[in-house]
Amino acid sequence: MATPTVTVALNAAVYAPGDEMRLTVTYSDTDTCPATVTVVLTDVRGHSSAPVQMTAVIDPLTLTVVDDSGRAWTKLSDNGAVADYRAVA
Amino acid sequence: MPRVTVTVRDSGGRTATTTADYQVGSPVLGGYYLSGNGNPIADLAGGNIRSLTQYRSFADGYLFPGWNKPWLTELGAAGMKINMVLELKHYGASHARGQTFRVNGRTYTVPAPAMTIQQRPGTTWPRAYGYGQVLSGQCDGLFARALAQYQEMGVGVNLQLASELDTDHEFGTTEAGRAYSWAESDARAVAALTYIVTWFKARSLPAGTTFSVGAGGFDRACYQRTHPEALMAKLDFLQWNVYATSATHTALARFRRTKDWAVADLGPIALSRPVLIAEWGVRSAELPDQAAWIGTVPAAVAALNAEQGPRIVQTNYFNSGWGRLVPKDAGLAALKLAYTTRPYV
Repeated sequence: MATPTVTVALNAAVYAPGDEMRLTVTYSDTDTCPATVTVVLTDVRGHSSAPVQMTAVIDPLTLTVVDDSGRAWTKLSDNGAVADYRAVA
Repeated sequence: MPRVTVTVRDSGGRTATTTADYQVGSPVLGGYYLSGNGNPIADLAGGNIRSLTQYRSFADGYLFPGWNKPWLTELGAAGMKINMVLELKHYGASHARGQTFRVNGRTYTVPAPAMTIQQRPGTTWPRAYGYGQVLSGQCDGLFARALAQYQEMGVGVNLQLASELDTDHEFGTTEAGRAYSWAESDARAVAALTYIVTWFKARSLPAGTTFSVGAGGFDRACYQRTHPEALMAKLDFLQWNVYATSATHTALARFRRTKDWAVADLGPIALSRPVLIAEWGVRSAELPDQAAWIGTVPAAVAALNAEQGPRIVQTNYFNSGWGRLVPKDAGLAALKLAYTTRPYV
């Protein structure tokens, strides 16, 4: 099992009070991959249901963002590789 | 400095963690200058005016707080940030001669200022103590006198050496009969101002003392020549002045002009320093609605500070000369309104 990787970037180093702050988190894990499970139910007479698909993630990742000044960071988007967060300076 | 810690964890409990540090700056200081180094206290009432520019000549016997200026000490003690512009320029021709005076029991004799600056054709060229005079130690008495008064005043200020080196050198300088080009004058000034900063920093200064050198900021090459890294390492601020003198001048364009040159041309030490705008103003002849123009300044400063590069931390309105507020009441009201707007609060 691989160890995940993460990098972060703030959109500035210095903010004025009240500024919107944006944090971009880029993360990955070589083990992590999406999977699709397809289920078809077949009875004893050989009649099959329509296939039903479900998605799952193998070795899913969870992100946590902690700010030691107590600012709350709100997740704006997350596509599984890049997540954007927002806070107010 | 606040820190964001981001952790990513997989299903097996393996984690990766990284951090990013940031700063939340203080609000920009909205400041003022009143014509003739005048007492601004009446004008400050009811406004969020937190910084002040003052001008003094090293030639004068009363620099700190200045002749009949006890209010400057009071303002400084009350938290007003003071930008004290100290000039080698002599303000009057009549007594531009040598001086002998005592400082802390020691007698100093300083010769007459030997340089001319601001040599605009068709004008009377002001006199100034020469860069050569500074480097040869002839002006040490002036610095000792200033230092003694500053220590007595006891309020830490920013010492801005020279008002505008570009204005002083634009048409060359002359010292002791020898003419120097603009670029030569810049190089000589860097040496002399380095001498002065070093002289003061070697002595006991009130807490909070900072240093900068003055520039109008209207000439890119001069700005680069006068801001070498070796000098900037001794200074605390970048500085330039901002004026709107055409109906086409926007606040954003005028405040950013010198910043863009600095970001392109200066080194990392210079660019690590915040920016002090010692003077800004809007000339009523071309922009009669001064209040409207002033009202666009907060957003311009906020926009510049949101960009990469040095942050503007202080902007002092120059209510004199090009910036004179006409009518004063409307202009001052607009200024106070601007200073209650982000990024000034």
